[in-house]
Amino acid sequence: MKKRLLLMNAFSLILLSGCSDDGKVTDSDLALLKTTHPPAVLIDKNTKENLDLVQNIEHDVEKMKELYDVAVVKSNGDTLVAYKVKHLQRFHMKKIEKNMTKMLEEKYPDENFIVSSDYKIFIEAVELQEKMKNPDFTDKKAKKKLDKIIKLKNEMT
Amino acid sequence: MSKKGNKTPEQQQYEKLEQKHELKRPVLKNCIRAFWVGGLICTVGQAITYFYIYFFNFTEQTAGNPTVATMIFISMLLTGFGVYDRLGQFAGAGSAVPVTGFGNAVISAAIEHRTEGFVLGVGGNMFKLAGSVILFGVFSAFVVALIKTLLIIWGVI
Repeated sequence: MKKRLLLMNAFSLILLSGCSDDGKVTDSDLALLKTTHPPAVLIDKNTKENLDLVQNIEHDVEKMKELYDVAVVKSNGDTLVAYKVKHLQRFHMKKIEKNMTKMLEEKYPDENFIVSSDYKIFIEAVELQEKMKNPDFTDKKAKKKLDKIIKLKNEMT
Repeated sequence: MSKKGNKTPEQQQYEKLEQKHELKRPVLKNCIRAFWVGGLICTVGQAITYFYIYFFNFTEQTAGNPTVATMIFISMLLTGFGVYDRLGQFAGAGSAVPVTGFGNAVISAAIEHRTEGFVLGVGGNMFKLAGSVILFGVFSAFVVALIKTLLIIWGVI
């Protein structure tokens, strides 16, 4: 009995030691649990036009009533749109993705969209947006990270 | 001719006596237990999926494979420690239907035939029950994939 108690204590200690981080909880850590509303991010070409464009894209996507959280990241070539779907609407995930792609391509024909409802892609997008706040995080690094996210999105197995 | 007609009066009398003393199967209680334990196992699986999404480079789409492997591994360990047998007795189908039941079927057969030696005992009997799961699983997956391929070729989906 004593041995079992000791084992359980040791196990819970190991489990809890995971919590002893530096105590800083960022939005990307909680992106799975709560609505984060990350601002649209622009990599390279930081012009007013481009900024308006990303914000318009985010605004248009947010208008869809099936969604509750949208993250948009735009670089030179690609525009990543990650979103979270309301729980009961998850049955229509494919239809939502199809409609969104169609809407975006019709409205912004010059852009190349990568659309994803995957939580992981959303978390990574929020993380990228957080890292962009740091001045040491260069555009080159950001572009690399975005490419990594897109590669992750296209992975099937 | 009905079954009852074949029976002698003694047999019929015995049947009546047996019915009087037979314990009723608590179907509703069993269903509720199976529901809760099965749901609990699935919740653990969902937690493991999120663990892989958060801490590793897995997306919602790709996190399924390592999750299944981990769940099977855990149930194999629990079977070895004799915990899963008790859970199986308590929850019935609730513990047998999820993928953890597969791990249990493999290891319990291996333990049962351990005394017959490693080759003919463990090796020969390990997949006695799980073998049919693999066979019909692979076969039905093949049939479904065939149907899907044909539907894609014909342009239905």
